[in-house]
Amino acid sequence: MNALFCLAAILFLLMIWIGGKKGAKSFIALFLNFAVLLLTVLIMTDPTANPIILTLIACTIISCINLFFINEVNNKTITAFVSTIITLAILLFFIVIVTEISMIQGFGEEETEELSMFSLYLGVDFVKIGAAMIIMSTIGAIIDVAISIASPMRELYNHNLQVSRKDLFSFGISIGRDILGTNTNTLFFAFFGGYLAMLIWFKDLSYSLGDIVNSKIFSSEMITILCAGIGVALIIPITSWITAYYLDKTREKSQ
Amino acid sequence: MNFILNPFKKLTKKQILLYVLLAFCFVASIIFVNNNYSFYERPIAKVLKTTLVETNKVTDMHNNKDQLYTQQMVAEIKNGDKKGEQIHLTNQYSASGAYDQEYHVGNELFVWIDANTNEEGVLTGSIKNVKRDKYLLIVAWMFIFTLLIVGKKQGLFSIVSLGVNAVLLSYALDMYLKTSAISLIVACSISAILFTAISLLLVNGFNEKTYAAIIATLLATFVSLFIAYLVLWITSEEGLRYEEMQFLTRPPQTVFMAGVLVGSLGAVMDVAITMSSSIFGLYEKNNHISIKALTTSGMEIGKDVMGTMTNILFFAYISGSIPMLILYMKNGSPLGYTLSMNLSLELARALAGGIGIVLTIPIGLYISIFFVNRKRAKS
Repeated sequence: MNALFCLAAILFLLMIWIGGKKGAKSFIALFLNFAVLLLTVLIMTDPTANPIILTLIACTIISCINLFFINEVNNKTITAFVSTIITLAILLFFIVIVTEISMIQGFGEEETEELSMFSLYLGVDFVKIGAAMIIMSTIGAIIDVAISIASPMRELYNHNLQVSRKDLFSFGISIGRDILGTNTNTLFFAFFGGYLAMLIWFKDLSYSLGDIVNSKIFSSEMITILCAGIGVALIIPITSWITAYYLDKTREKSQ
Repeated sequence: MNFILNPFKKLTKKQILLYVLLAFCFVASIIFVNNNYSFYERPIAKVLKTTLVETNKVTDMHNNKDQLYTQQMVAEIKNGDKKGEQIHLTNQYSASGAYDQEYHVGNELFVWIDANTNEEGVLTGSIKNVKRDKYLLIVAWMFIFTLLIVGKKQGLFSIVSLGVNAVLLSYALDMYLKTSAISLIVACSISAILFTAISLLLVNGFNEKTYAAIIATLLATFVSLFIAYLVLWITSEEGLRYEEMQFLTRPPQTVFMAGVLVGSLGAVMDVAITMSSSIFGLYEKNNHISIKALTTSGMEIGKDVMGTMTNILFFAYISGSIPMLILYMKNGSPLGYTLSMNLSLELARALAGGIGIVLTIPIGLYISIFFVNRKRAKS
């Protein structure tokens, strides 16, 4: 039996056992996310398609799946959604510049042996694809932070309708600060786990510190980790501000 | 104006010291990284002038169209015994830039210098790599500043815990590579225990809430690792392609399992601390809350975090393969082959991590309840 299928079946059973209907939904969402990601990559192989715009569209669909399908459409998921899209757009802009300047796109010289049988002149823009890769790897964490802030902010507002916009904002920020540490940690360890093979290999090759720092593979992975951290921090004030603004406006309307 | 000045008035001496120290580190590191040529043994050349000499259209056998350019550069050598001399370099690059790139004036490159000068007596050489340390440093500083501005104290703690964990991981790998006696799994397990203790204690302090989270994290991680191991053993790893790790001279299975262990640790920690914080929070609000009520609330909270946490791992693992997927597909590889070659390990890692996350919910819940019961019996 296929190992992947077996692991997926175990995960599915556990999710249903613990989460019931919501667990099943979460599992389906994983599949939908995978399908969206795959479709995006397939379209990216077309040289006329702009990977940046494709990524933004894909991120919008993925946010919809994770916010509106797992939860439902209500004012907390809507503000979380808007904040996610704004943060991703800002981050994407930043990451494209970083990828361009630091020349971390594509494949490193360490990978040439593996690549020797491939044609590398493909006509697609690898700088933009590199930026798409970085943004896609953080989208899960960004959505998570957005919903974790928007949801208690709405609770606070529901409990106390008189709370001022400024108080709402600082409440959101303080929640964000509490989850900042664990969320960056989640991402760091995930990346460390993924890069473990590469780290061992660098050590085996007895690269000097200078060689490691300047190599394309290592710097691109470090920049991915750092940009992920920046994204997770950036979504905190953005979600707090947008949710506070939105709740304030709905209160004005109802009065 | 008051709005800008106000925050400064409230500063304590300690804070001012911290800010000054930070500013000093920032400036010093930027100056260092822009002038550290002499620390490198390999010659570094800074591009002074570039000229585009040739443009070619190419089409490969899979009908991919690309542009090829050739540029000639004059660069100045910045270190070694040829310091200050000019060198002529030639660079061929494509518009897509999968493996090559255009260089601009001001770029710094590691070069090989040819032994003989050309007819005009000018040094020639070839480009080895780009000097990327300064870009890396700037992004690192942007990361530090963003985290500090948004997170203040908590931001500082997460930077410190990241730094400590990175050093620890590097040290553990060194230990493993130097003394072949310890297996990688043991080295990573020991580090995992340290990672968990350091990260959770640093962020949440010494209290029962943290102890419950630490125990739950370790238990859930090792149970999920055991499940993953069992599955791989029963299915004799069918469907897993280790080719992407073929460059390793070590058994890829072990490296993969160690990756699963380290990779899921962060997410499991996150879920564990969420569970124990909420259970202890509920107990502190109402000391007489029944075990049944705690279990129901705990499960509700667990259901909420389960989906998003598995998503975080999923995207962090899968996205890294995007450029490779495109390379395979553009080279006419069939979709199934492309996916199994590039994604099988990432998917397995994400699924095993997901199992760890889901298992943490009941494990974290019951361990927290156990600690709550003990606390209740004491008081």
